[in-house]
Amino acid sequence: MNILLLLKLIGSILLVEGAAMLPALVISLLYGGSDAMAFVWTILILCAVGLPLRLLCKPEQNNLRAKEGFLAVALSWVLLSIFGALPFVFSGMIPNFIDALFEAVSGFTTTGASILTQIEGNPHGVMFWRSFTHWIGGMGVLVLTLALLPQMGGRTSHLVRAESPGPTLSKIAPKMGDTAKILYLVYGVLTLLNWLALLLAGMNPYDAAIHALGTAGTGGFSNYAASVGHFNSVWIEAITTFFMVVFGVNFVLYFKLVTGSWREGLRNEELRWYLGIYVGITLLLTLVILPTSDGGTFLNSLRYASFQAASLMSTTGYATADFNLWPAAAKMLLLLVMFTGSCAGSTAGGMKICRIGMLTKQGIREVRRTFQPRKVQVVRFEGKGVEESVLSQVAVFAFMYILLILLGAMLISLDGVHADFETNITAAITCVSNVGPGFGAVGPMGSFAGYSAYSKLILSFLMLAGRLEIFPLLALFHPAIWRR
Amino acid sequence: MRILIVGDGKVGHTLAEELISEGHNVVIIDRNDDVVRKADDMLDAMCIHGNGANAKTLLDANVDKADIVVAATASDETNMLCCLIAKRLGAKYTIARIRDPEYNESLTLLQHELGLDMTINPERATALEISQLLRFPYASDIETFAKGHVELVAFRAQEGDVIVGHPLKELPARHPTLPRVLYCAVERDGAVTIPNGDFVIRVGDLVHVAGEPVTVTNFFRVMGRNAKRVKNVMLLGGGRISYYLARLLSPAGIHVTMFEINEEKAATLSELLPHVDVIAGDGTDQELLEQENITGMDAFISLSDRDEENLMTGLYAQQLGVQKVVVKNNRLAYNGVINSLGIDSLVSPRIITCNMLLRYVRARVNGGGTSVEKLYKLVDGKAEALEFIARKGDPYIGVPLKELDVRRGTLVAIILHKGKVIIPFGNDVIQAGDSVVIIANTSGITDLNEVIRR
Repeated sequence: MNILLLLKLIGSILLVEGAAMLPALVISLLYGGSDAMAFVWTILILCAVGLPLRLLCKPEQNNLRAKEGFLAVALSWVLLSIFGALPFVFSGMIPNFIDALFEAVSGFTTTGASILTQIEGNPHGVMFWRSFTHWIGGMGVLVLTLALLPQMGGRTSHLVRAESPGPTLSKIAPKMGDTAKILYLVYGVLTLLNWLALLLAGMNPYDAAIHALGTAGTGGFSNYAASVGHFNSVWIEAITTFFMVVFGVNFVLYFKLVTGSWREGLRNEELRWYLGIYVGITLLLTLVILPTSDGGTFLNSLRYASFQAASLMSTTGYATADFNLWPAAAKMLLLLVMFTGSCAGSTAGGMKICRIGMLTKQGIREVRRTFQPRKVQVVRFEGKGVEESVLSQVAVFAFMYILLILLGAMLISLDGVHADFETNITAAITCVSNVGPGFGAVGPMGSFAGYSAYSKLILSFLMLAGRLEIFPLLALFHPAIWRR
Repeated sequence: MRILIVGDGKVGHTLAEELISEGHNVVIIDRNDDVVRKADDMLDAMCIHGNGANAKTLLDANVDKADIVVAATASDETNMLCCLIAKRLGAKYTIARIRDPEYNESLTLLQHELGLDMTINPERATALEISQLLRFPYASDIETFAKGHVELVAFRAQEGDVIVGHPLKELPARHPTLPRVLYCAVERDGAVTIPNGDFVIRVGDLVHVAGEPVTVTNFFRVMGRNAKRVKNVMLLGGGRISYYLARLLSPAGIHVTMFEINEEKAATLSELLPHVDVIAGDGTDQELLEQENITGMDAFISLSDRDEENLMTGLYAQQLGVQKVVVKNNRLAYNGVINSLGIDSLVSPRIITCNMLLRYVRARVNGGGTSVEKLYKLVDGKAEALEFIARKGDPYIGVPLKELDVRRGTLVAIILHKGKVIIPFGNDVIQAGDSVVIIANTSGITDLNEVIRR
């Protein structure tokens, strides 16, 4: 194994993280700077670790093989979270390191699950950093590193493949570095539009930034305990709903939209599944919650249903209503979209719509095969036959996904803090799917603060596994990867 | 530049690697799924699965924005069709690999009708290279620059050569009769050095010298290397390279004996090449080789499909004392090993083709800049010789070389001014319109301004 190259890569990524803390430092200084030193110290530590690694490690070969690629991705996400937790600790906002780590993992993985019980009144800089982790975690830190440091060159496709969500990776430009730049450009422009829209709807610039970052990364951290519900504004809710749906779409489609092949973009099968599922779930949800206190009229019901469906399907996790109090049918509908998540190549989590589509078609094929065994059936997606190797990979992924949820839920229920079944299983689901809120004690108005340090570590692992789509993280535990 | 490569075979892949390392945007199309996936893993390029002669696939690859399309699939017809469609869809330049001798006859017509900017025939190009090597049997490699005014020749220093054992700067004093050539690059133990005056050549070094053809010929004459002209050549294998080579050698009065194991093929070859002795038999059979008088040959060239077979028979011929042995080797990785066995002349159709293509691409990079006229890879691509035309208005024009800043690891080897070869020293100047040959131990130079600064 090319350890030196791996270390050099990790050094670069830590430096990029240091640079990513600069906006938060600026915000902190703008608002009085009570927490500025927390960032200064963290940036110094990151430089102290990152610079020697980057400058002193001179690998003999610059060949990044699959092994190093996966290790680099998994290790750098773990390290990013550890270092990203430091500002929380240094500023005194979250004095306990395990709590801070949970918060940082939740930020980077765009989950948005929080252990904070007191959200208002925290220092502005650290709260901005908390939301900013969503933004970089959403598109991926390695993708960012690649966009900033193109000289990594060579075989970087392993890195991006391990980090970007979805079963297959589509390059927009011949060079991976250019692809990364285009993706971040699209991402940045959309985030900016979201921020402007929120400003126009009456938010102050700071709140608008926090919520635009949270929406763009499909994370869901808010600086108000009542989340987006705090503003109680139809406009803000409509804008956020729209952008949550927008950020759940494969970014490649936006690129195609801009470069003129919009017809091809709209013909995208995954997009049609995505919008179809969203509209269907929203309508059903509207009917189900009509009799509750959040319903009443159809329009009122639609307002809450469309927001909540978009929030959980895009795995953002913002709330405008305490959906924990909704009837079981509504919760089941929301649980469904927490599983599916959004499109591959977006910032969202979940199993991804294209996998759900392929699995469904594969299921139908198996049904037909029982009575027509000799019929040759090709599973088609996006108008092309899907290779059997991809199909089996998707099936295994789905199994591992569910296994991870069940094992995780089992492990955290050993903790005994939350006695009810609903809390534990939805805590595991919401973490693996990177959504944020679950039901019960971890519902939209609750928090993860009650869990023990042991459970928080387990849940942090689940969040990382969900964000990296399981295999890269599990690869860390395979003995063969550590062999020379 | 955006370059579209159709067919990720040996040539396509090597070319893509080289172009990516030079910073070009490369898109690859291949029909084989596995190949595409592998290329996607290995190369920083966009890899598309599909038929390169299909307009839709080509459009997926943004052919309309491509500067150069290189069609290098296994089939000539696909390559031609691909280039035709690509050109119609808006590609700027198209290059097709066309290797079938039958198409070769009507190449000009095809090239015109299909709008091809260049055709490449790897086998013919290889044959040309070998024929050149045979005309200069003392050289393990030879390349011409500046429209033939300059030759760059590689040879291995032997015991007793006058250049061995003394610093280069002392050579003119010690041997006044030795013509002044430029020592461009020396390979020793796999590493390439661009020598200065204090450099001492040792026995076994692979030395590259450059100069005017007459000077170079004289240089070898004084060294006692002007061995007799090659008159009898033995070819192992009756493939396309052998066919083209025989067609090149026979008219020059060189007698060719060719081995081909397949009797039917041997009969066809005999029909096509009336002046060649085609032997239907196994050219690796030592008895047969001796029967056909291998010891009386001036050169032995192994061109069969199997690299191992080529090498073994080549070594055998060398052991028997054949003066010039040329071995075809398509797998680049083993070149170092083979050189250490003492076989100097290795030819690889893949490398030859790649060099031709790279030269073409580089010549079209940054249209305004001094572009590369010719590129030649020395010792497995560890060093490069590049020819540029100096443009009017460049900062280095008219300035004595000693006042210019020449990048480390590069050497201004030759200036060709109005047909006169100058081996430059500190006081020489480059003038607009001169051909300048640069030797560099890094690749990717596309402009003279990158190397020479004021």
